[in-house]
Amino acid sequence: MYNLVMKDLKLGINPWFFILPLLTAALMLIPAWIYVIVPLYFCFITIPNVFGGFKSQNDLMFSTLMPTTKKDMVKARITVIVLLELMHLLAAMLVSLFTLRLYPNIDYLFFAPHAGFWGLCWVMLGIFNIVLLPMYYKTAYKYGAAAAASNIAAVLFAMVAQGAAMMVPQVHAIFYGAGLDRTGLQLSILAAGILIFAALTLLAYRISVRRFLEVEIL
Amino acid sequence: MLALDVRNLHKKYPDFQLKNVSFQLEQGYIMGFIGVNGAGKTTTIKSILNMLRIDGGEVYVFGRNMAEHETELKQQIGCAFGDVDFYTRSRLKTITDITKKFYRNWNEDIYANYLRRFKLDENKKIAELSSGMKVKYSLALALSHGAKLLILDEPTSGLDPVSRDDLLDLFQELIVDGEISILFSTHITSDLEKCADFITFIDDGQIVASAEKNEFVEAYRLVSGSEAQLGVIREELIAYKVNSFGFTGLIRTEDFDPSSDLRASMPTLEEIMIYFAKKESLYV
Repeated sequence: MYNLVMKDLKLGINPWFFILPLLTAALMLIPAWIYVIVPLYFCFITIPNVFGGFKSQNDLMFSTLMPTTKKDMVKARITVIVLLELMHLLAAMLVSLFTLRLYPNIDYLFFAPHAGFWGLCWVMLGIFNIVLLPMYYKTAYKYGAAAAASNIAAVLFAMVAQGAAMMVPQVHAIFYGAGLDRTGLQLSILAAGILIFAALTLLAYRISVRRFLEVEIL
Repeated sequence: MLALDVRNLHKKYPDFQLKNVSFQLEQGYIMGFIGVNGAGKTTTIKSILNMLRIDGGEVYVFGRNMAEHETELKQQIGCAFGDVDFYTRSRLKTITDITKKFYRNWNEDIYANYLRRFKLDENKKIAELSSGMKVKYSLALALSHGAKLLILDEPTSGLDPVSRDDLLDLFQELIVDGEISILFSTHITSDLEKCADFITFIDDGQIVASAEKNEFVEAYRLVSGSEAQLGVIREELIAYKVNSFGFTGLIRTEDFDPSSDLRASMPTLEEIMIYFAKKESLYV
């Protein structure tokens, strides 16, 4: 498993995609921007490009010829994807600490980058994973439909969450009103988001393994 | 000891199926796996390597079930599918550095030896190698991790005659001490005349014969005679060709009557393959 992860890091994925999280995180410095787009760049750009690279480089054949199991191949690939997701979100979260201090009196039309907002972002990536990975592992090389569906799912979640925060008073209070001062509540939402992300990704892994075991390597 | 024991493999596709494929390869020998394009050679090899989901049958490598001990057994198997077609824009050095981490018995000295012998430059990219050099690189990787069973799918297909000859010499060299066994598929039968100990012949997804090379060839006779004689023997022939002098056909030795007036000769592997393919086309 470890060797497969290292193979992806050294050979399968262009180093650019490990720099991209730092660049997208810098977008957090734009005052009162639509910050949910920052983690969405991972979904829009990184995944289609990385999966396209695996397909064009015939990675599936290379990995299959190594002394590994199909289960480990899925486990390693999902580990790498989660690693990239962590890099994107953690970098953006770190920069957002400066954002809040740089622009203390700004009016946010969209979500302000508080802990609760980041909890929603974790959920969004969890939803992205649960749609993307099981669809992708029906073939382990066709990524177009899986990337499209997972991106749509993630964007829909972001829109619904933003809409609810704007229109539902109770939700508005949490993300725009008094709830922002309740650190415990904000951190609880973040923790819940991380847990939901972990649960959805674990479920995605299990379904993906089951599907990949059926895949024939042609 | 059996290096490879394939038992009753079944694999069904909508328009093709492997039917009851069984053969055994003794340790220390070379087996040529022959058949025309589309006969099922690659499907069989991919089934052996657990790359396809078989509908039935079992594969044992060194006495252990491949499906149950895949990771362990792959440490002892070296495989090559034609030439290397993955990460072709990467340097050999990069691919090797990644590959060797997967193998417990990787031997850097053996690898360096094969690089020298095959005149492979580690700083070249895979895309810069010729087909023959790509095959040699695959072999260098397989042999450097101490593989005891080499499974090679058409390794000689893209090679010039000199490189083919060199490779076949290497195959013979490898099996000298009786540890390494080689199964290689090909449709270039002259390769097998030179170095194979056993022949397994697959036709339309079924094993026609799997036997020691001479025994395999001796099981058939190439007969020729007049058109009138064809009428008498037609039913016994596997397939035949009619020409202006009469006919030439392939027959099983057991079905051939040596006292007949027909001219008989020993067929080459290529002729056996051609007549079996012709038999298929008769039923299409």
